[in-house]
Amino acid sequence: MNANLRDQFDRAVGDDPGADVGAMAAAAVVAGGRIRRRRRLTAVAGAATVVVMGLGVVAGVNFQTREPAEPAVTVPMGFSLAQDCNYRSEEKRATDVAIFGKTGITGRDRAAIRDALGADGRVKEMVYESNQEAYERFVGLWKDSPEFVKSVTPESLPESFRVRLKDAREFRSFRAEYAKMAGVQDIIGNVCPPSAPVGGIK
Amino acid sequence: MTDTLTNPKSTARTADEEFTAFVEASATRLRRTAYLMCRDWHLAQDLTQQTFTKMYASWKRIRTSANLEGYSRRVLMNLVFDRSKRRSGSEIVLAELPDQPGRETAPELRLALVDALARMGVEDRAVLVLRHAEDHSVETVATILGVSVSVVKMRNARALARLREMLGDDF
Repeated sequence: MNANLRDQFDRAVGDDPGADVGAMAAAAVVAGGRIRRRRRLTAVAGAATVVVMGLGVVAGVNFQTREPAEPAVTVPMGFSLAQDCNYRSEEKRATDVAIFGKTGITGRDRAAIRDALGADGRVKEMVYESNQEAYERFVGLWKDSPEFVKSVTPESLPESFRVRLKDAREFRSFRAEYAKMAGVQDIIGNVCPPSAPVGGIK
Repeated sequence: MTDTLTNPKSTARTADEEFTAFVEASATRLRRTAYLMCRDWHLAQDLTQQTFTKMYASWKRIRTSANLEGYSRRVLMNLVFDRSKRRSGSEIVLAELPDQPGRETAPELRLALVDALARMGVEDRAVLVLRHAEDHSVETVATILGVSVSVVKMRNARALARLREMLGDDF
């Protein structure tokens, strides 16, 4: 009966339309590489992401049972969290703040954010990085993965305003205000030592 | 250490080549397994792609594992289980089968194997597919699904009986 069953299963997949396996591998390298990078950032962040791994050892099968949990802090692709900073998913206090601009942010929105930060008494230091600059940094960082670099354009990386606050306790109100501004995609707060890069990201 | 080991560039390339070779060798079979689980070639393609993506993300950790095939089945089945949990079986909208079809089922009413599979619980379906379409041992199926050997045997017996009920006695 089992042999008959196997035949039936073979016939059941007889209408397989086929697929380009080379393209599947290439797509997995690009998308999987992105997941890897995100995980690496989390590891750097030192967030309490504990990876529980079980080990299957029956019948020569030997592999981990669980995928790592989703990262606690994510920064956009092409950015990494500064090593010395302490990231938590829900920050009440932060010395350093990264404000990421939306794709296609208008010059007017950008200027409004820049002016607001320039006039903001809570801001100690501010550094701006355009998406073109982010792209150049990205290409240098990933020169060993040409397929990945090919999949990315300057437009797929956000621009960022990196800020150091005078007082970490003001982060909450600071974030609430800037999150409302047009053109702002995301705001990430970090607790960093003075030696860290402004904004807590690289 | 040799130069090859200390040069990250060449190590990365080798790992990518290895991964591509693995995908090329295993994609067709994995897609067919996915199809038996979901009865839809597009979705099967999607699930297979997601499986490879997850495997690439962990490739450094798993590339030396003793059984990459088993690992890929585990990732795929987890995706299938997650999906069916999320959709809570809503994708299967076929009419209920009569309780006792057995001998009375007319030949023209017999279901194709994939349709019969689709009417089973996703766990039973997974056991049948891994055990009989893929020909894995009971122990390997147990490891892939993360359950005990006796659970696999029990589900297998139950699923085979159900299949016979749906597909007829000569099956």
